[in-house]
Amino acid sequence: MIKKIYLATLFFSVSVLFILGGGVDFKSTDQEKVVLELKLPKPMFVGTPRNIRSPNLEKITGKKRGSFYVPKGTELLSLDKPVTGSDTEPVIGELEFVTDGEKSGEEGYYVELGPSVQHVQIDLEGSYPLHAILIWHYHSQARVYRDVIVQVSDDPDFITGVKTIFNNDHDNSSGLGVGKDKEYIEVNEGRLIDPRGVTARYVRLYSRGNTSNDMNHYVEVEVYGTPAK
Amino acid sequence: MNKKTALYGLFLLAVLGALLLRLFQLDLRPMHHDEANQAVKFGILLEKGEYFYDRTEHHGPTLYYLSLPFAWIASGTSFSALSEVTLRLLPVIFGVGIILLFLLFKDGFSLEAAVFASVLNAVSPAMVFYSRFYIQETLLVFFLVGAVAASWRYIRTRSPYWAAAAGFFFGMMFSTKETCVIAFGSMLAALILSFISLKKHSQPKDTPSMPKTSHLFIFLGTGALVSLLLYSSFFQNPKGILDSVFAFGTYFSRAGSAGFHYHPLYYYLKMLAFAQYGNGPVWSEALILVLALIGGVAAFRPLSHGESSPFFIRFVTLYTLLATAAYSLIPYKTPWNMLPFYIGFILLAGYGSAFLLKISKKLTFRVAVFLVLGLGVFHLGVQNYRANFKFYADSRNPYVYAQTSIGFLNLVKRINELAPLHPDQNLMLIKVITEPDEAWPLPWYLRAFRRVGYWQEVDESGALADVPLIVSSINKTSQLQPYLEDNHILEYYELRPGILLALYIEQNLWDTFLQEKKVK
Repeated sequence: MIKKIYLATLFFSVSVLFILGGGVDFKSTDQEKVVLELKLPKPMFVGTPRNIRSPNLEKITGKKRGSFYVPKGTELLSLDKPVTGSDTEPVIGELEFVTDGEKSGEEGYYVELGPSVQHVQIDLEGSYPLHAILIWHYHSQARVYRDVIVQVSDDPDFITGVKTIFNNDHDNSSGLGVGKDKEYIEVNEGRLIDPRGVTARYVRLYSRGNTSNDMNHYVEVEVYGTPAK
Repeated sequence: MNKKTALYGLFLLAVLGALLLRLFQLDLRPMHHDEANQAVKFGILLEKGEYFYDRTEHHGPTLYYLSLPFAWIASGTSFSALSEVTLRLLPVIFGVGIILLFLLFKDGFSLEAAVFASVLNAVSPAMVFYSRFYIQETLLVFFLVGAVAASWRYIRTRSPYWAAAAGFFFGMMFSTKETCVIAFGSMLAALILSFISLKKHSQPKDTPSMPKTSHLFIFLGTGALVSLLLYSSFFQNPKGILDSVFAFGTYFSRAGSAGFHYHPLYYYLKMLAFAQYGNGPVWSEALILVLALIGGVAAFRPLSHGESSPFFIRFVTLYTLLATAAYSLIPYKTPWNMLPFYIGFILLAGYGSAFLLKISKKLTFRVAVFLVLGLGVFHLGVQNYRANFKFYADSRNPYVYAQTSIGFLNLVKRINELAPLHPDQNLMLIKVITEPDEAWPLPWYLRAFRRVGYWQEVDESGALADVPLIVSSINKTSQLQPYLEDNHILEYYELRPGILLALYIEQNLWDTFLQEKKVK
């Protein structure tokens, strides 16, 4: 008897499931999905746009950078310090331009390194706690430099003790790891990076071309820290 | 080898060289804003068979109708299957065609002059640059040279066929670009002045007589028929005929109020004579200008010209002077607008070269002239390489004007990388929110995507939070940010020098992309 009740219940359950399942199946094939045809606005035909040949010095962000606080006694450590780079024979300018204190966006004040991933490296000639790094790649035209990565270390070859303090290579195209920092538009006030007091002697800055061309440029890099007493 | 064979050999070399310089790496330069505009307009004709003349934009219909055979052969009627090469083949063919037409002038100013002009036209950086550019200018110059050549042949032969050919070419000029009226006016004035200048030295061989009335009707009828057919879209849009006349109002007011295309009087001549921008190289087509000056002066020397016709060469000189003045006086200037008068300089330079050789009686002088001409042509060739294969999208090139940056192609590449990873693939929704002039050439590059919308204001663009890709002007990013709520990755790309576009990529799509990249 129990066996019959069990078999009847099983049959009933399977039947219900079959009907429901069939219904679902039937329903899904009956209402086949189609792409919703949206009426999207067409592009507007317009005449030849403005030709821009002269440098554009206007800022695009529209907002001034706020005050940045550093420990008392912080000084500019990088001025006239030795600079080396991955491109030993720059296309334009000299590597020394990176730390010569000249921040003008005009011709003759920047160094141009070759295409693809390139870096410059500043030797602070001593290991110091660092509190601010300011970078000017090229600010006479609105552009964005790709894969800006800033690393510090006490090892001149950057093999040991390397700390990455800025990385906006969001797709790892430079192969130094995915970065979470955002890309930014070059402006004449430079890009301020907070090293959060990390102690190091060498600062290495990478980039991989820019929105305008494949070359890498540096007008100036300033490294601030507290010098040894 | 006699002189004639050598000259024809040189002519053949010029044609082959011109073809090679114009054809090689034709897709190297990113599509210009104006090229993309023309391409999209042509796409409508290709896919839907619709063309309606717009009297405010795009110029005349010849570019589109003449593009059809190239597109049909290369990609059928599919706009998305079209390529830059297919489109640019049209100006390439017409650019080389100009050189072939020069041979029709051989009894106008000697075979030597025609061949030298061919060589100079083949290597002129300006001529090559705009023969690789999908706009109307090269076609206009071809029809202009064709109109002069057919008219000249008519003067020589009095054949009704040449009268019809002249009518055809004038009609095609009118159907190509509204600025043809500047050339028409300059030609008419040059014709009258040439007659006046030769009045005292009346030699029946030199001064043409009035055409027969029947030939005049053939000429006018052919020109009118060509224009009516094209402007009415082969009778699909009769309103286009009237619009082609009303368009002059639009273009006259545009010529006067040049806006950001205002350039000084000397703009064109300075660009051709000497140009250097920033730390870029020096550019100069001064060789052509100097030879043209020699040719122009020679055209007005006392009559004893031997092979050349004083009427013809004076007509070319006066046309060149008048057209140069007219184009220079118009405040609205873009570099490609100089071609209809620069072609006159090239013809005169050919005549100037032949004249220099003719007056160099001693062998040493002749060798020196050949050497200078050879070095000059080599110099033009070097600049040609720079203009078309090195600085092809660089604003330090004087012929580059409001050109799309090379970096813009990275935006296109990114979109093409992401699309296959989205479930909708090429049906993926893309919203472009920019000023109208910052949207181009995106409609060309996104032609394979079926759901792309273009807006000018963020508020009008509807829901944004789940849109896989949004392209926006930089000045709209602060407005966009609240809608996107950190659900998108932001990248920047350069559209044109100093003008950046923002690309917002939906986070899930970006994560998939990174995942795929890792797997690879």
